[in-house]
Amino acid sequence: MKEERVKQLTNQIVELFRRSGYDVDAKEISKRLMLLIYEFKVPESEAIKTVKNWLIKELEIPKERLAVESPLVKIADITKPGQWISLKAKVVQLWDSSSPNVSQVGLIGDETGIIKFVIWAKSGKGEVEEGKSYLFRNVVTDSFQGRMQINVNRNSEIIEIDEDIQLPPREIEVVGALVAIQQNSGLIQRCKLCRRVMTKGICPIHGKVEGYDDLRIKGVLDDGENFYEIILNEENIKALTGIDLEKAKQIVAERLDRNAVLSELKSKLLGRYLKVRGTKGGRYLIVSDVEFLKGIDKAEVEKLIEEVAA
Amino acid sequence: MNGVRRREVAKRIFAYEFNRSTHRIKPEEDKAPVYVLTPLGMRCNRVFVVGALLDKDEIKPDSGIWRIRVADPTGAFFGYVSRFQPDALESLMEIEPPELVAIVAKVRVFERDGKLFVSLRPESISVVDSETRDYWIYETALKTLERIKRMELKKDEDCKLAWQIYSPNLNEFKQIVRQALASLKEEFELIEESEEEIEELKERREMEEKEFDKIKEKNELEEFEEDFEFEEEEWDLSDILSE
Repeated sequence: MKEERVKQLTNQIVELFRRSGYDVDAKEISKRLMLLIYEFKVPESEAIKTVKNWLIKELEIPKERLAVESPLVKIADITKPGQWISLKAKVVQLWDSSSPNVSQVGLIGDETGIIKFVIWAKSGKGEVEEGKSYLFRNVVTDSFQGRMQINVNRNSEIIEIDEDIQLPPREIEVVGALVAIQQNSGLIQRCKLCRRVMTKGICPIHGKVEGYDDLRIKGVLDDGENFYEIILNEENIKALTGIDLEKAKQIVAERLDRNAVLSELKSKLLGRYLKVRGTKGGRYLIVSDVEFLKGIDKAEVEKLIEEVAA
Repeated sequence: MNGVRRREVAKRIFAYEFNRSTHRIKPEEDKAPVYVLTPLGMRCNRVFVVGALLDKDEIKPDSGIWRIRVADPTGAFFGYVSRFQPDALESLMEIEPPELVAIVAKVRVFERDGKLFVSLRPESISVVDSETRDYWIYETALKTLERIKRMELKKDEDCKLAWQIYSPNLNEFKQIVRQALASLKEEFELIEESEEEIEELKERREMEEKEFDKIKEKNELEEFEEDFEFEEEEWDLSDILSE
């Protein structure tokens, strides 16, 4: 039992140093671990640290070399099980742990993808929180039911970082009411150099430059549980209202008021239910398809009425 | 809190439940939003309502403050629009009741004679079609039923608080949902059996509305010392920062 545990720990240390390009004497490591853990009753983690430090001194390994113990990778690059890696990722979702051996389980993601993670109870690592970003140092890749995951073990470190890791754009479909249309919507001017929206003929980056007209809506779609900040482009707006850039310019010419376009769009769209499909990267949902929600399903209504009656 | 708050979601709620909401949840910190706790244990600060605009009256000549009444199948919402809600006021001026409208509004609470009353402070008002209204009824029925279920299970702190404060008769709310759903069908025979109950509810509701009318006629103007709430969208700097 003792021997087995020591052998296991020894292998971990040997593997750690081999990855940095050093061959170490397994026998000597085992001897020291045995002594520290079972003779001197030192906690395992302290024993490991002591042995590592001894090896670093012995082999004259420069400190920075070991700081990058496991290579920093992106989630998309994780393809093989059994690799020691480090990664920066945001906790996307925490699941309920079904086993007392697992302290936390869920999904983490970076800009290249999303992967399952498991923090073993035995690892003694702190808890992570949904929506926060962390550096997961020295975690091991694993394959479970044909999917890759990462395991956090006692040699791993989880360090909260002050960095908002972006997640990959996700295609989503939302049905909700358009509850607000924000400023800088309607017929707008964009900077010819950087395409940014100009305010009163001034680009925030390039100052007073030539601009070109564009039609867009920045709005808020609300389904009663969540809200989504959506961006509708000229094509989307035309699909909903029949107003395109040409028509918008015509409206301005007729009413001699640039804001007339925005008023028109507001009266046609505010308070309406939209079904929207698009990709959500950062803050905004960039819409690819949009349509007005078509009526309700009578069968669904019947079902609900029965449910209430029951 | 770094000065900018997350936008409040617009809750779906029938007038019946809304008008019975008399408990205000005090903010834990300054400038945090005020929530109203409904009898079915939902916190709301902003609502989305679709119904028939029945009246718009200027509460005093040239005051620029308009009282509106908007009905759904379960009752009527009251709201006040003034120059502090320019978008809503602009659209309201162009609408002649009766008309179907969609309203996004903040929930206002005021106190009279020791009682709390809720009303709407619209951010936007727009004329919509009956399909929008139908979907709103369906969606609101669905969400109200979800709330009833959570109340039955006493699922969270807000539900427990609602039980403590209102001890609502859940069957009454089920009846209301049923009534709203029935309005979506052409044929009404399904609800015949419960017509008596509904009559009873109607009477009670009318009485309550009268009471509200009486109270709101008292110094309504006082209500317009506006408190401003800032939310993210009002300070949208994203165009300047990046695009």
